[in-house]
Amino acid sequence: MKQASGRVHRRPGRYLFFSLVDKLLLAAVLLGIVLFILYPIVSVIATSFFNRGVFTLENYRSLFHAGNVKLVTNSLWVAALSSGLTAGLALCIALYAFVSKGRRRAFVQNSLLLTMISPPFVSALAFILLFGRRGLITYGLLGLSLNPYGWQGIVLLQTVGNVSFASLMLISSLDGIDARQILASRDLGATPLETLLHVVLPAVRPGLLSVLFLLFTMNLADFGTPIVIGGRFRVLATEAYLQVISTANLGKASAISVLMIPPAVLAFVFYRRSIGRAANQAEGAKSLGDSAYTLELSRPPRVVLFAVVGLFFLVMALKYGNILLSTVSNTASGSLRFTARYFQELPRSQWSSFRQSIGYSAAAGAGASLLGILLSYYAHRRRLPGMKAVEFCASLPYIIPGTFFGLGYVAAFSHGPMMLRGTAWILILNYTFRQLSVSNKAANAAFSAMDEKLETAARDLGASHMQALRRVLLPLLVPTFLTCFITIFTSSMTAVGAVVFLISPGKNVASVELFQSIENGRYGVGAVQAVCIIAVTVGVNLISMWLLRRFQKAQKGDAYVFTAHRPL
Amino acid sequence: MKRIIATLLAAALMTATAACGNGGGADSAASGSETPAAESASPDPAAEPSEEPSSAVESGEQPYAGTTLSVMLAYGGAEKSFDAFTEKTGIAIEYVEISTGKALAQMQAEGGNTTADIWFGGGVDSYIAATELGYLEQYASPEAAAINPAYSDKDGYWTGLALVPAGFLVNNDILAEKGLEAPKTWEDLADPRYKDELIMASPAISGTQYAILNGSLQAWGEEKGWEIWKGINDNVDFYAKGGGEPGPKCCAGEYAIAILAMTGGTFALEEEYPVTAIYPEDMIPWTPAPIAIFKNSANKDAAKVFVDYMLSKEGQEALREADARIMARGDVDVPAEIGMVDTEKLIDQDVLLFGSQRETMLEQWATMAGEKDA
Repeated sequence: MKQASGRVHRRPGRYLFFSLVDKLLLAAVLLGIVLFILYPIVSVIATSFFNRGVFTLENYRSLFHAGNVKLVTNSLWVAALSSGLTAGLALCIALYAFVSKGRRRAFVQNSLLLTMISPPFVSALAFILLFGRRGLITYGLLGLSLNPYGWQGIVLLQTVGNVSFASLMLISSLDGIDARQILASRDLGATPLETLLHVVLPAVRPGLLSVLFLLFTMNLADFGTPIVIGGRFRVLATEAYLQVISTANLGKASAISVLMIPPAVLAFVFYRRSIGRAANQAEGAKSLGDSAYTLELSRPPRVVLFAVVGLFFLVMALKYGNILLSTVSNTASGSLRFTARYFQELPRSQWSSFRQSIGYSAAAGAGASLLGILLSYYAHRRRLPGMKAVEFCASLPYIIPGTFFGLGYVAAFSHGPMMLRGTAWILILNYTFRQLSVSNKAANAAFSAMDEKLETAARDLGASHMQALRRVLLPLLVPTFLTCFITIFTSSMTAVGAVVFLISPGKNVASVELFQSIENGRYGVGAVQAVCIIAVTVGVNLISMWLLRRFQKAQKGDAYVFTAHRPL
Repeated sequence: MKRIIATLLAAALMTATAACGNGGGADSAASGSETPAAESASPDPAAEPSEEPSSAVESGEQPYAGTTLSVMLAYGGAEKSFDAFTEKTGIAIEYVEISTGKALAQMQAEGGNTTADIWFGGGVDSYIAATELGYLEQYASPEAAAINPAYSDKDGYWTGLALVPAGFLVNNDILAEKGLEAPKTWEDLADPRYKDELIMASPAISGTQYAILNGSLQAWGEEKGWEIWKGINDNVDFYAKGGGEPGPKCCAGEYAIAILAMTGGTFALEEEYPVTAIYPEDMIPWTPAPIAIFKNSANKDAAKVFVDYMLSKEGQEALREADARIMARGDVDVPAEIGMVDTEKLIDQDVLLFGSQRETMLEQWATMAGEKDA
């Protein structure tokens, strides 16, 4: 560091160069957000205001009737309930990991990372297979014939599907708590349970709020679960998607999607305000995770936490076991038969789609992680004016329904100089900008846990902004980058909604092929495709985790690295 | 330099695809499709459109060799017939499977600026809408002379490749368990004893299901028709979000009766599950599976060769081999795989009404179905 800054003093040309790079990077971030987030969204919203070139409000007039009010309340209710349940369960699991040490903790954490990989649709199908009207468990074992379709099914599946992701984020938040607070509480005579309730829980509140916000927006925009399990229960995300594919009227469909924006925006505003109020995190906090001390809970609370963890892993075992089973069997009237047919029936484009999926998702993972970190840097370290609005724009693709964002890309990039349809770029860019919010929020958390004095010191010693970023901040952000990469890669591998309209002959991806199989009723083939997606994603995750661990080992002793390693 | 490499690549690709087709392509379909091709080549001097220049296809010339056509496909299994075409003409086919509803939304978003050349199969209502929006190219194939005009657009914007009939799939285990008989007619489905045992797709989403609704209303007349559909609606628990769903749900025993498209695949389910596919005795609704060329296509001449091939006797037989359906050409036999279908019972309907009546009919449907049809 010192060397770097020393050199700068002597070579003002280099300083100018870095200042230019700085401006270019900022411009790239801003331009990217305008071109690949705002422009597509505006393009698709425009279709709702124009009917063959003539301005009209017709599409919006048809929106305001009683049925759609029900639609909004349905969606909000289901999204809120699943998010609350998920957060509750995740908090228990995260606390269990927090008070555990060594292997047990590593086991929980790694299992969570693996169960985060959940291809769309197949878990809902597994659920129907096990608990449906002719479910292997409900009907086969218990002789019950239950109707799985409805809001209960949606809530259950959304809850189960998101617990891993939420738990991981909460574990990181817990690790970010200043260990000195906990030690002080114990020294002053508080029991471990009291410490947990009065020190740990309040301190994890901001983390919990961001988790809730993310879950709420994810559930609100989720169309894959309700479409399979919703039955006659209508929600906005599915409705928007079905409107798109069923009416020959894109404008009307896009108007329905616009309905989803206000709740998501409100949730975002609420999140920002709560985070702002709760941000009392000590700068440069020292994590408990790397200290020798463990918070030893007494037996009853430990048993409760353990029970939740056990239950969760049981459900996960059922889910993945069932998906595996579906690749080699079918159920006929509630009984099981084995077959090897599905492997032979894989579509012939399967492998090229797979290669493309991996390539595009990796590119998006790297791109979005980098952009998210830069955005966070300009917004929170450099505190440039107007960056809050830019961050909000960056989070838009995450909170609006994927199909809507995808159609925006079709509308924006089918003409003239920005003609990207039919290329791989449109898929990569869509993946990248859809997930930008994830890496941005993770980087925000990392920056807030990093002592700003480090950077100030570098600046005082004469380093330019760019040098401070490159030499001081970026090395500390490597773990954040890797975590973001894993998360974004995984969600891109399983994303469907946004890219369903962006594929073209020869440019298909595995998750969309999976969707096509499910749509055509080829559930067995779909299960095989899902297992392939899981296997590849697990492979990439394991490699990234190994890299992460190696990096952490190399940096052992540097507390900043540990606190920086938090997705949120 | 770039161009040379591209040409080399294209050539390599072509040889590769040709080799795949030749080598029997590992799957039975490729070798299967060669048989009818060989048949029709020699003992078929009566091929009507001999006066047309489409004979390039028949004479074995390959004027468009090296071209790649891009196809939006909504015709399950059809891709198996593409190899034979590539081998014959040297035109490579790239395809993506996409339901017609999605494809139409995509076209609207891109303002008709499609990157694909051919639209292949799927719901005819989407083709009618696309015609109105001006996305399709008018093309009267010389081969269309052998096709019943009722299966195609009168102005030649799209042509019927095949007919998709509709019927029932029943789960015998569940029927036996509930002491129910299998339904024989559409009116049977409205019988209250089948309450909550019926599964069908939403006609707003599934083109086949919409064709059933529209065709049956044309046959019954509005008043009687809606009354029967009201009875059926009472028996349906909820409407599936796609035409692919009812079949598997019936097989798994979730519902006793499914309403669906009858293809070779439907009948193949009988071997694996305790189910029976049934053609209704009163009438058989149907929808044409069309083919069309996009107005924005950059390879219109090659696209026409493709359409001609798919409508020719040879192409139709290859397509029938790939997925058993009632082919549009009168001189191609109904395949045995789709059971004993009495073509006399096919509804006498005006397919073009599928387009003009769609919006009002689906609105009326939505009012009737209420919450069940999301």
